Amino acid sequence: MALIQLDNITKHYEMGSQIVKALDGITIAVEPNEYVAFVGSSGSGKSTMLNILGCLDKPTSGTYLLNQKNVEGMDQNELSEIRNQEIGFIFQSFNLLPRANALGNVMQPLIYRGIKLSERRRLAAEALQRVGLESRMDHLPNQLSGGQRQRVAIARALVTHPSILLADEPTGNLDSKTSVEIMDLFDQLHQEGQTLIVVTHEHEIAAHCERVVEMRDGKVATDQFQEKMTA
Amino acid sequence: MMLFAFIESSRSALISIYAHGLRSFLTTLGIVIGVASVIAVVSVTQGMSAYIGDTFAALGSNSLTIESRTSTEDRMKGIRNRLTPDDLELIELRGEGIASITPILAANRSSQVKYGTQTVFSQILGTTYAFQDVAQFYTASGRFLAQSDNQTRRRIAVIGDKTRENLDLPENPVNEYIEIGGEWFKIVGLLETKGEIMGFNQDDLVLVPYATMRSLQGNQAQTDIQIQLSLTEGADVNDVSQQLTTLLRSAHDLSANEEDDFIIQTSEQLMETFDQIIGTVTVVVGGIVGISLLVGGIGIMNIMLVSVTERTREIGICKAIGAKRHHILLQFLIEALLLSLIGGLVGLALGFGLGTLIASSIPGFPPAAIPWWAIALALGFSGFVGILFGILPAAKAANLDPIDALRYE
Repeated sequence: MALIQLDNITKHYEMGSQIVKALDGITIAVEPNEYVAFVGSSGSGKSTMLNILGCLDKPTSGTYLLNQKNVEGMDQNELSEIRNQEIGFIFQSFNLLPRANALGNVMQPLIYRGIKLSERRRLAAEALQRVGLESRMDHLPNQLSGGQRQRVAIARALVTHPSILLADEPTGNLDSKTSVEIMDLFDQLHQEGQTLIVVTHEHEIAAHCERVVEMRDGKVATDQFQEKMTA
Repeated sequence: MMLFAFIESSRSALISIYAHGLRSFLTTLGIVIGVASVIAVVSVTQGMSAYIGDTFAALGSNSLTIESRTSTEDRMKGIRNRLTPDDLELIELRGEGIASITPILAANRSSQVKYGTQTVFSQILGTTYAFQDVAQFYTASGRFLAQSDNQTRRRIAVIGDKTRENLDLPENPVNEYIEIGGEWFKIVGLLETKGEIMGFNQDDLVLVPYATMRSLQGNQAQTDIQIQLSLTEGADVNDVSQQLTTLLRSAHDLSANEEDDFIIQTSEQLMETFDQIIGTVTVVVGGIVGISLLVGGIGIMNIMLVSVTERTREIGICKAIGAKRHHILLQFLIEALLLSLIGGLVGLALGFGLGTLIASSIPGFPPAAIPWWAIALALGFSGFVGILFGILPAAKAANLDPIDALRYE
């Protein structure tokens, strides 16, 4: 049973009198524990794809089954809930809460699950340990390096045990050495059974993935499995 | 579940307030000043009101005072209305519901009192033994005026403690002699101290027998007396004053269209007048302060709106990782509520301090008192202001679209 099932998804935006087809009839399925890269130049529709996959936005038409749940017809609150339960976001600019320390940031999604403080602390500490930041728990984001910030963000995404880890240009703001470290961490998570989807325009990043979906003009141009490149 | 969201929102609101210390302080300043002024005014007026209440209770709450009254118009024509000893006799004879009655005759010429080398001015009143009941004056040492003092026109006096002090009389002045209007009076009693009403010292007086006072003034027809009386248990103040009015009007031959040439006052009326003044002051100041609280609330709304804009990206992050509408709404609403409640509490402390300072810096002013309803009102109102002016920013935050919010720079 596919974890993600997109069926003829379209997304249209109105720009003045013109209608822009950001996504134009996408049909694709992602199985559990797949490691997928969405690549393409800017304007190819991969950001829109990410928003749809991450339930931040709803398609204009088509059906999206996420873990057998139909996202269609959900209101904002239900979408929030499904994001909280099924999806772990990793952003290019990390998107950590600036006033909360590493532990606080990782605990944040658990608040929306109604988990009490002591339990939140335990789970968040566990997740930070998993990304190797157990010694930085009480640091604020601006006291951490870029790589460390992205690790905090990964811990925040992992702490809810999501079905999918959804990364948007995860290494875009990092130097090459740190990028490799982050991608190694992704590889490791994949080996542990995590489903990962990475949206990127960098081929070195896409090379880590097992499957590369190339997008062009809102359509899937190529979709192929590749021999995984190991560093 | 709701309680959980409430606690978590309060936690993050507190963190946010603390993180923006200076801004939070400036935001609440409007509320602080508003509440502080309410509390300062209320505590001062309430202190005054409680004090006046006590004072009038001591004055004897079921007593009446009758005085002559001359309208300004008549006064310009040289007419002086009078209450005469005949009026006193009439009331003694035909008044109903009266327990004790006493005339009071104020010294009309000099009110000088001498003792040794000291000469002071005091309030010298000619009255009878009944004054004790009516005005609730009791002696601290010696005795009060007796009925026989009046009948035999004895030259004796009962004095207040302030007068004793002014005259350098010994602690117990009984059996000392003082000089009033060229005559020697023997002091037979010292009154208990009563304190002041609105800066007017009640202990600076000399009481002498009514008949003695009359003879001292010579038997002039010009006598204008004041009559004080206390009512019997169960007698209604209004009924009695109604009956006395009718009695005096017919005695004074007043026709239906003429005004009373006397005035009947109850101590309750006096107290009500004071209460009314205080009430008016409280309402007026309360209104002004209400406006300042409103302005404070608008200040909070303003800052909260700025804060929402500033934290748009944070809101986007929270929504992306699963925050629902009510999570965001509660967080900002509680932040506004806490800001104004903290402002209210600080204002409360500041206002009470201010009230105490005002009360203690004016000599003879009663101490500030802060009633529970004022505390509840101040906190309730500032909380209300916080919620009222927090709703708009909170709703704005809660309704943000996660994609737009995440993209916000």
